[in-house]
Amino acid sequence: MDLSPVLTGFTVAFEWQNILFCLLGVTVGMLIGVLPGLGPAATIAILLPITYNLEPTAAVIMLAGIFYGAQYGGTITSVLLRLPGEASTVVTALDGHALARRGEAGPALGIAAIASFIGGTASIILLTFIAPALAGVALAFGPAEYTVLALIGIFLVGTLGNGSIIKSVAAAAAGLLLAVVGLDPIMGTPRFTFGTDQLADGIDFTIVAMGLFGVGEILYNLEHRDRPDKPVPSFGRAIPGRLHWLQSRLAILRGSVTGFVLGILPGGGATMASLVAYAVEKRTAKDPSRFGKGAVEGVAGPESANNAAATSSFIPLLTLGIPANATMAVLFGALMLQGITPGPGLMTDHPDVFWGVVNSMYLGNILLLVLSIPLIGLFVRMLKVRPGILAPITVVITMIGTYSIRNNAFDMLLVIGLGLLGYGMRKLGFEPGPFVLAFVLGSLLEASFRRSMRIFDGDVTEYVQQPVSATLVAILVVTVVVVPLLRRVRTRQTAGAEEAGVRAD
Amino acid sequence: MQHPLPRRGLLAGLAAVPSLAALAACQVQGGADEAGASFPTRAVDFWVPFDAGGSGDLISRAVAKAAEKPLGESLPVTNKPGANGAVGLKELLAGKADGYTICLAVKSLFAIGPLVVDDPDAVTIDQLRIITTLTNEGYVLVVHGDSPYQTLDDLLAADSVNYGTTGVGTGSQLSAGLLFGLAGVAAKDVPFDGGGPTVTALLGQDIDAASLSLAETMPHIEAGDMRPLCVFSEERSVYLNDVPTALEVGHNILVDQRRFIVVPADTPDDVVGVLTLAFEEAREGGEYGQFLQDNFMERWEVDGMDAELHLAEATEQFKAQLDESGVTLGTGE
Repeated sequence: MDLSPVLTGFTVAFEWQNILFCLLGVTVGMLIGVLPGLGPAATIAILLPITYNLEPTAAVIMLAGIFYGAQYGGTITSVLLRLPGEASTVVTALDGHALARRGEAGPALGIAAIASFIGGTASIILLTFIAPALAGVALAFGPAEYTVLALIGIFLVGTLGNGSIIKSVAAAAAGLLLAVVGLDPIMGTPRFTFGTDQLADGIDFTIVAMGLFGVGEILYNLEHRDRPDKPVPSFGRAIPGRLHWLQSRLAILRGSVTGFVLGILPGGGATMASLVAYAVEKRTAKDPSRFGKGAVEGVAGPESANNAAATSSFIPLLTLGIPANATMAVLFGALMLQGITPGPGLMTDHPDVFWGVVNSMYLGNILLLVLSIPLIGLFVRMLKVRPGILAPITVVITMIGTYSIRNNAFDMLLVIGLGLLGYGMRKLGFEPGPFVLAFVLGSLLEASFRRSMRIFDGDVTEYVQQPVSATLVAILVVTVVVVPLLRRVRTRQTAGAEEAGVRAD
Repeated sequence: MQHPLPRRGLLAGLAAVPSLAALAACQVQGGADEAGASFPTRAVDFWVPFDAGGSGDLISRAVAKAAEKPLGESLPVTNKPGANGAVGLKELLAGKADGYTICLAVKSLFAIGPLVVDDPDAVTIDQLRIITTLTNEGYVLVVHGDSPYQTLDDLLAADSVNYGTTGVGTGSQLSAGLLFGLAGVAAKDVPFDGGGPTVTALLGQDIDAASLSLAETMPHIEAGDMRPLCVFSEERSVYLNDVPTALEVGHNILVDQRRFIVVPADTPDDVVGVLTLAFEEAREGGEYGQFLQDNFMERWEVDGMDAELHLAEATEQFKAQLDESGVTLGTGE
């Protein structure tokens, strides 16, 4: 491999104005990540006009910084307020928020920042050396593979819950049902749209998450408004202690690799990555019952995974010209407006842009880590604000964020409606996590399944005849059938042995 | 196109108070009476009824930038996506017809939309007024670079074909559907969610062929990953001069996507005139021309009447051809 373009990329990335735009990008990204509902895609679209007069490299360095900076920022509201702004931070909220309630908000966010940094950086290194070879991975995933992948994801959703399994499954089923709202993906028939165009494209994920987690949680908390304030537990230091680090270092490593690989897949890669990372940590843990009650690995794994995935989601854009998510689509547009076509020719035609942007991410991640530590100290103070004050402010910001997704007032009504649903679920002990993730994976599953059945002429055996999808089917069978079966056999054996032991006494 | 008198009187009264008018200018006011010489006195909102980053968004941003100087005011772009553009246009129609909000519109919504679902509430072209026409973007039928099909005849001789489309009710679906339908080939459409996923599926060889826009395919054609078989425009594309039109090889299919800018139909004539002139000048700009070239788009520059006529004719032609071919859009299963 010829490393000279990579090294030239470093000189481009470290030109002073590019450093400045990188700093600007990651700072803006981090701040909008903190504001619930305001996503990187909308922000980048708003900022597009100011990039017209910039150098292409500087423009994309800044916009990319907004994207991965938002991943860092999004964690903060997930942990402190249980308000995930992106599908990929939903699982972080589970243990992150539990840690915050226990008075360990500082270490939780500290570990999240370090995990994000390691995940992001590891992903850039991998991208540098194997990006061209990996472009093919994105193409190996067609409708059949996404079908099986989504199915694996939906079964993994079952491992998230803490309380009743039946309630988790019921919430997930309701999420799947909500995912069918909108035009039928194959036939274009309106489903549950009540005759309005507003629902024709289905419901945006952010709206569902903001409603169920955000508004639902706020309503629930307002019930306890009149009670005397609980003494606020200490936040802990932002720099995590030795124990936290020991508990999470392997999780970070595993999460980085999972995130990098799944992030390459356009469409749901980052969400799957965080979900898979969480499930892996929960299953490999010595004591899985700690999860959901504040396990540091439950933050470290998904956070390293979603940041690694955020970086590797640049691979299909930069090497194939395929945007992997809404934010990448806007970045694609930004490049096109600069007269640069992302795609197979980018690396050879514009090596300075390609490597300048990629290498600026090292710097961006360092800047984000440095920014995080003092900002965490600042943000955890949010927990000290009385709910009576914090709640209305959060609602207003959520509403602005919701409006910004499509610049549409109808969506604000949807958030309120879903917030009432979230409140009701909370009262009845249903968890929003399985609902929201099943909602995301549901549309992927339905559309992919129906597309693949059309391609296969209705022959289901094709799923096991194609190498990649057959491998995924094998993984599905092992995780869903074989492992639980073995576990049951083993517990029965140990129980039997204990019984025998008791009898022998 | 007359406004009811009371409203005119009220607005004239408002405009007579300079400070009030100035205040109103930065908020929500404005109206018919500021028309003509005094239009525009503030920024003109340019709505794009599609997601940020797509072709429609890019054209709008390019032309909005070019129109700032001739118009003398800025044109901030706002994305109002939903239902193939219907959500944004309906919001436009619900607002004031004062020229301070203009919106991009596409041919497919008017020419293909009614053939998919019979929606009595659909936006129709007579509710709108075209202030300027912008582009004509051709569709090209592509197969994978390693595909055994070298020519269109090869593909049409295949036993069965799976073709990807960018969604229900798109020119992508219509052009390929008509081609296979009229040629009597056993073909099945696989609708994806937009151009990106369709390109991915074709590059991954999950589907045999797809009809896509030039902007979506040219980089891959140049890289040799895709092979163009025919274009669906009347004449060969300037960007793909060696690829025959469907017409040349005996298939009478003309499908393209055209983009234009609209305001509500009852917008005053003088306001429309100001906007039309500004965009005429904007289209002459060198940067805009470069943008079209970089994105493989061709110019479509006709007056509003011709444009409306074109849309009406296209709908009739598509309807007749769909009836002839027996192809149905949106009920493929």
